[in-house]
Order: sequence, then structure tokens, then C-alpha cells
Amino acid sequence: MIQVKHLTKDYKRVKRREGFLGSVRTLFSADYETTRAVDDISFEIQEGELVGYIGPNGAGKSTSIKMLCGILVPTSGEIKVNGLVPHKSRMENTRQIGAVFGQKTQLWWDVPVIESLKLFRDIYKVPEAQYKRNLELFNELLDLNEFQNTPVRQLSLGQRLRADMAAALLHNPRLLFLDEPMIGVDVVAKERLRTFIKEINRDQKVTILLTTHDMTDIEKVCSRIMIIDHGRIVYDGSLEQIRAEYGKQRTLVVEFEEEVQDFSAPNAALVKTEGRKKWFAFNRFETSPSTLIADITSRYPILDLAVEEPEIEEIVRTIYRGKSETLATETK
Amino acid sequence: MKLFWAFARQNFHAVAAYRFDFFLRASSILVLMYGIRWLWITLYTQRPGAFGVSLGQMVTYGVLSMAISNLFFTGPPYYMAQQVRTGAIDLDLLKPLDFHFHMLARSTGEMLFRVLVLALPGMLVGYVLFDLQLPADSKTGLLFVVALFLGYLVSFHLDFLLGTLALVTLEIHSIDWAFHATSRFFSGQFIPLWLFPGVVGTVANVLPFRSIFFIPLSIYTGALSGRDIGQAINFQLLWLFILWILSRWMWGRVQARIVSQGG
Repeated sequence: MIQVKHLTKDYKRVKRREGFLGSVRTLFSADYETTRAVDDISFEIQEGELVGYIGPNGAGKSTSIKMLCGILVPTSGEIKVNGLVPHKSRMENTRQIGAVFGQKTQLWWDVPVIESLKLFRDIYKVPEAQYKRNLELFNELLDLNEFQNTPVRQLSLGQRLRADMAAALLHNPRLLFLDEPMIGVDVVAKERLRTFIKEINRDQKVTILLTTHDMTDIEKVCSRIMIIDHGRIVYDGSLEQIRAEYGKQRTLVVEFEEEVQDFSAPNAALVKTEGRKKWFAFNRFETSPSTLIADITSRYPILDLAVEEPEIEEIVRTIYRGKSETLATETK
Repeated sequence: MKLFWAFARQNFHAVAAYRFDFFLRASSILVLMYGIRWLWITLYTQRPGAFGVSLGQMVTYGVLSMAISNLFFTGPPYYMAQQVRTGAIDLDLLKPLDFHFHMLARSTGEMLFRVLVLALPGMLVGYVLFDLQLPADSKTGLLFVVALFLGYLVSFHLDFLLGTLALVTLEIHSIDWAFHATSRFFSGQFIPLWLFPGVVGTVANVLPFRSIFFIPLSIYTGALSGRDIGQAINFQLLWLFILWILSRWMWGRVQARIVSQGG
């Protein structure tokens, strides 16, 4: 569906000088500075995949999505979306993709939602039968009929995003870009959008690229995750894989019958003590939880125990941090 | 064509949201029609025969001019500047529509809507209350409609060019004000161009603005007739052609800039 090879994007920006005189001088002779937003990235996405695309702000996510949409021309490298080069055949490409940008709406602000949808029907030349079928689907999955006659400016954020989703999918795109589609939405509405995203991916085989800062979105929705930082892809793989690779660490939480002295268990480090509870960190490839538990129970009687896996958020933070540390050492 | 109606339909729904704006426009048309009629009557009693046409023709020119005044300059510059400022221009570029055509459809939709709710009722009121005469014959009426539509297209392209400029400068209020004041003056909205003296008259005759109010109104009132009508319409077509080429070229450059620099 998507093939990206050695994609790079440089922005050329006028370097501003400080102060009033500086800005006057900028008018006449401008220095340019180049910033590399996307730096030699390559990846492939197969039809029907649901990929989480994450990275800190300014990592290059939006820039790369814009290039996939064909509204930004790459500095170098190759992109193919379903066989098309997006920036060369922008119009043809737009017919096969849909996009929702959480921060902007493509609906007409002052008119009822349904009127905006009718306009999109005419713009994309959606056949009447398909239009009706899709509206029924949206009513069923998004409860669109609850607010379809309300002007967009009077909608709640959750409703507006639902309407935007409907607008993006009206022409049955093969590929859907969701750029922070759930930003600022409450928990219930979020859950509902997640279910909807999963359903259209499963039932209609729409390939989806989802950008988000919420790791719960990724955990609940995506099967694959790509992490971009400083314009480079620092991780690309399945969720299980990322856990296996970065989540070697487990924590054993033990509650003893009575307060006990701090002690160290083999292959595990005591990280925290709180009353009768103690936390032991261990690498699950060096020791198994059962060996550790056996060792501890042989010393003291215990009330309760639990093994904690690291949160995906924690892992991602480690990856971001790890990457910037290696970058720092590179520059040294 | 379907798309033009689709945009017109949107405007019907939007007007419900901006009823106040609508009533303000409608009532200002009434006041202006009343005012211009009264002005010409006064001027004609002072100096009869000084204005080249009969009082009836002149009042028709003025009143009709006010009735159709909302059909021109239906707003792409503001839309375009706003889209760039908010970054929503990306969403416009994501549509399978040529941007120039998209703006034309949007603007024409608005124009058609205004024909129905402002211009036609305005003309009716003008006919009943303010001595707006009917055109001499149906052929004149038809030529007026043709010239009016061409005038609209010229105004749209001037607006579109202003809009592409707005994409570069991002600030358009002052340019917009200056541009529209000038264009309304040179288009003969208030004073027919034959009353412009010397150099100003010559300049007004060459500029494209004449296509907008002056040519259709002159055809309607009979100030232009016979071969002059054909010439005037050719003048409109020529300017339309030039402005169309210019619009395509300018937009091509602006779009190239957007897609290389990310808005």
C-alpha cells in the first residue's frame, strides 16, 4: 500500500535577526537556514494494516504524512501510495485517501453536518447508493443521526470528530490518515472512536496510519508501531516485539505478613520499600519470576504478590530518551 | 455544474446562521436604491441634460446597480487568507479539486444564492418603488445577463488574484479595502464612466473594472446599443482571458511555494 524509500525533507526558512533593525535587514538580505524535518526514512505498509505512528512534537510525523498525502514535495527519496507518486498525481491520490486532522475540521462551520457531507458527496462524485450505504453505516457506528442537523460550530468536540471521520470516509478511501484524531476528547468518546477505527479497519480493510500521543490508543488499536524522532525512524515493529525488546524488565511486588528487613534476592534488585511491601526489579531473561518467588517465600511468609510489566508509555519514553542520548554522544 | 449548486445550497443553510448579516445587506440595498434615485433626481433638476442620458435611464442605471451590487466580489481573498493562517489549506489541497476551480465553485455558489435572495428581490422592489425600468426588449435583457455573468467572472478573477497575494502576505484587510474601493470606483458602480473627465475616463476605459458594473448596466439601460454591445462583450472576454491566465500562473507559483515549504 505504502512504500517509502530514503525519504528526506528539508525546510528552508528565513533566518530572522533579533530586534527592529534586524528585522528590517531581513527584508533586504535574508539568510536562509535549512532544517531537516525528515531524515532518510524508509518503511512499507501493507494493505489492511493499522499502524501507530508516534513520536514527540516536531519529530517529523506531520511532515511525512503531508508528503504521503501529496501536499508537500520531498527533498529526496521515493514515495509510492498504492502505486502512485503522491506529489506528482496529487488529485488522483486524494481520491484514494482520507484524512482527519484532530486540530482542524474540514466541515463547513455554519451549516448542519449533513450538508457538509452532501457537499463532499458532490466533490468526490460518490454514487448515490454508496452515499446512502455509508450514511447508514455511520449512523450505526457513530450515531451520526443524533447530530446531523446541527451546525458544526454547535457540536461538542467528540461529535465534531465523529462527523469529521464520516466526512473522511464518505468516498471509501483505501487509506486513512488520522493525525491526532482524539486530541482533547473525553474517555467515553475516545473509546467509541477507537472502536470505530478498529471496525472500519477490520470490516472494510481500510489501511490506517494513526498519529497520537496517547499510548493507550496505540495499545488498544494498533497492531504495529513506528516511532519517529528527530526525523528518523527509531523503531518499527509489532507491539509484542517492542515489549519483548525493550520490556525485559519486570517488577515483582511482594507484600509480606510483617515488616521485614531489606534484603537482596539473586538476580533481582530491591527498588522500593513501602511498609510491608517491597518492589524487586529483575530481567526476565536472567531469572524467572517463579525462581524469584520461591527464593523469597523460603525466607519470609508472604501475603500477596504481583508481577508488573512495564507500561508501553514507559518503554516509549526509554526509546525517545535512548535516541536523544545516542544523538548527543554522536555530536560529541 | 452540480458542484456550483452544492455550494449555493450551503449558503442557504449558512444564511440561517447569519440572518443579521443578511438583513443588514438587504436593508442597505434599499437605502442605497432610495438614495441614488433621489440624488440623480436632484442633479437632473439642477442641470437637466448635463448627464448624457435621460433621467429615467440614469435612475434605472443607479437603482439596478445597487440591486446587483452584492453579486460581485463574493469573498475568496478572506477565505484563502484564513485557510493559510489556520493551516486548513492542507485540507483544501487534499480534495480532488483544482484549487482555482474550487474557489470558483465556492464563489459562484455564493453569487447564485445572492441572485435569488438579494438581487432579484432588490430588482423587484426597485421596479415597484424606485422607477427601475424594464429593458427595451428581451434581447437586451438577455445580453445584460450575459454581460453581468462575464462581469462576475472578471470580478472573481480579480478577487482570486488578490487572494493569492493574501497567501503571501497573510494580511489582507488594508489591501482589500484599497482594492475594492478603487475597483468599485473604476467599475462605474456609482457614476457611469461616460461622466469621467479626461485622463481618468481614458484610464477607466482601459482597466478591467469597467466589465463589472458599467458594461452590463449600460447594456440594460440602452446607453450601449448595436455594435457597441458586441465590442463591450469582447472587451470583457479579453480581460477575462488575461486574468484567467494570470490567475493560473500566480496560483501555480503560490502552490509550488506551499508544497515546498509547508504553508
